[in-house]
Amino acid sequence: MRAVLAQASLVRHRARTALAILGVAVAAAMLLDMVMLATGMRQSFKELLLTRGFQLRLSPKGTLPFDTDATIPDVAGVTETLRRNPEIGEISPVLGGSIHIPIGDRDVSASVLGIDPSVQGDYELLYGRDVRTPNAIVVNDRLLRALGKRVGDTITVATGYDPQTRSYSGQRGFTITGIVRFLYGASDQSAAAMERQTLKQMNASSPLRAGDRASLFMIRVREGGDVENARRWIESRLPSVSVLSISTALAQVDQRLAYFRQLAFILGTVSLFVGFLLVTTLVTVSVNERSGEISVLRAIGVSRIHIVEQIVIEGVVISLIGATLGLVLGLITARYLNSILSAFPGLPMAIDFFLFQPIAAWSALGLLAASGIAAGIYPAYRAASLPIAETLRREAIA
Amino acid sequence: MLLAILLASTLAQDSILKDSRSADTRGPRTIAVDEVLAAQAHVHIGDRVVISARPTAPGDTVIVAAIVRRSTDPSEVAREDLRVRTHLDQLQTLVGYGDRVDRFAIETRPGTDPQRLIERINDVAFGFKAYRSSDIAVETSRTFQVVSRFHRAIGIITIVASSVFLLCIMVLKVEERRRDIAALRLMGISRSTVVRAIILEAALIAVLGSVLGIVIGWLASLFVNWHYQSLYHTPLAFSIVTTPIVLVAVSLSLALGIAAGIAASLRLVRQPPLALFGR
Repeated sequence: MRAVLAQASLVRHRARTALAILGVAVAAAMLLDMVMLATGMRQSFKELLLTRGFQLRLSPKGTLPFDTDATIPDVAGVTETLRRNPEIGEISPVLGGSIHIPIGDRDVSASVLGIDPSVQGDYELLYGRDVRTPNAIVVNDRLLRALGKRVGDTITVATGYDPQTRSYSGQRGFTITGIVRFLYGASDQSAAAMERQTLKQMNASSPLRAGDRASLFMIRVREGGDVENARRWIESRLPSVSVLSISTALAQVDQRLAYFRQLAFILGTVSLFVGFLLVTTLVTVSVNERSGEISVLRAIGVSRIHIVEQIVIEGVVISLIGATLGLVLGLITARYLNSILSAFPGLPMAIDFFLFQPIAAWSALGLLAASGIAAGIYPAYRAASLPIAETLRREAIA
Repeated sequence: MLLAILLASTLAQDSILKDSRSADTRGPRTIAVDEVLAAQAHVHIGDRVVISARPTAPGDTVIVAAIVRRSTDPSEVAREDLRVRTHLDQLQTLVGYGDRVDRFAIETRPGTDPQRLIERINDVAFGFKAYRSSDIAVETSRTFQVVSRFHRAIGIITIVASSVFLLCIMVLKVEERRRDIAALRLMGISRSTVVRAIILEAALIAVLGSVLGIVIGWLASLFVNWHYQSLYHTPLAFSIVTTPIVLVAVSLSLALGIAAGIAASLRLVRQPPLALFGR
């Protein structure tokens, strides 16, 4: 009965109801997008860091991985120290750098990772073979296109220039053995990977990069091991490195992307408030218009609670229909907004700012349903408190 | 003649220590310290500190000669890099860089064609390349451009949401006047007069709402700037209320108000007055 009356009231003013539903739908879309923005990038980054199960990362003191050109010296010594901790499983040292590949009269530049193929966690092989020999190199699609080469072709790679002798330094011949996708690489980045020992030999003449160095160590803690314990242990043994666990890395990301989280919170709150205001206004006007009708219902014995329920149902119905439409609209706009933010320079391809998680949709829906109920409370209270005789008299005079 | 300005900067987190040792016989050199680093490390002008390229490596004793505020660069706003400026040769020695630099900044003489100069440099260059400063600025401001595009998209969504909201409110507002309109029509007031009166009222409400909205927006803008400037330690303005923005907001709300007024009033005046009374 209550639902039928609520439906009749909404259908009576179709245009008005449709506009209110549209307004709630836009507010709901915005709310969903902002919930996705607030939680998505953190979750996406966490999933990215844990892709290969490495829970700890070691970078030169005071820097984030690959944030600067700084390196950690004495890889063998650091590895030996780390091996003393029984909780530490795999250790993957990575040396970053840049390479130059002369092709005819042009020079193609790319970033390069020197890795240990048996424990690397930086890329996944898409085609061909991994780097199993010192003269093997794997490249990403973008670099392969820039080179105009194929898997199996040979190239000459240099790690530097000598402007005085007008020659390349650290030159070496390589065979392209495979195409890979770098997990942490940006979409606009040309990149390659080779054995770390090979890159070390090529860097031998560089004053800054010569020697047994790594830009980063990735560490996998054994199953059952305490990651935080291992982190503290490493920090105490190796004072020249910064140790990042997933939680500290996420804290860094939170700090750098605080602007987006706060923006999401503010716009989400505004959207929720707008939706609430819209439903409250509509239901209040509707109640004002129907004051005579409500008084008649009360006069023939319909209880206050019945009236309240009917008015609240009106608010909730508008909110829920609007929210359902808004979820669809929100997913479309989230995709568009994500495509804009994915153009951030240097952002790993795997990072999504707007990550759909069922909990985000349920949160948005729950918040809107709650605001729909809250929006109906004031007009319902007014409707239930109408003085019956006075209202009927006023209506009769009118 | 080309004037080469050499810029040398390095990350100095955890590598500055207060110390009174002398570095060499010539006496300590001087450095300039970023104001954020100076505040965090409690460093003052005249202090002697030791700087080194690595935390455990022996370093050089230097005197803090200046505390500087970095230029406002949107692309660096979310980064918390702490910076020290040293003399070029000192940094080269400190990091073992040899006689190398990361880049040269070149000022051309008046009347020089920069494009021709770039081509000449690139013809003879090996291992480096010349760029226009404006091209580098475009490249380094890509982060800012992405954020701007994102803001524009959010702005469009917000305008759509506001438009629907405004339209809805105006329709409700006019519909609330059913009985007034019926009374006016029964008194013999013409349809066109009623429509004009409602449109005028709707426009007035839209303008008053816009003025209030601009005041709220301006206050919100002050808060946003205060919050993010203190969060990121930057004088950059994050939100600016400009005349075009105010004009767009007022025009949009006025247009929507009038449109809603026309639509709702025409619908009402077409109905017989007694029907508007519910008879």
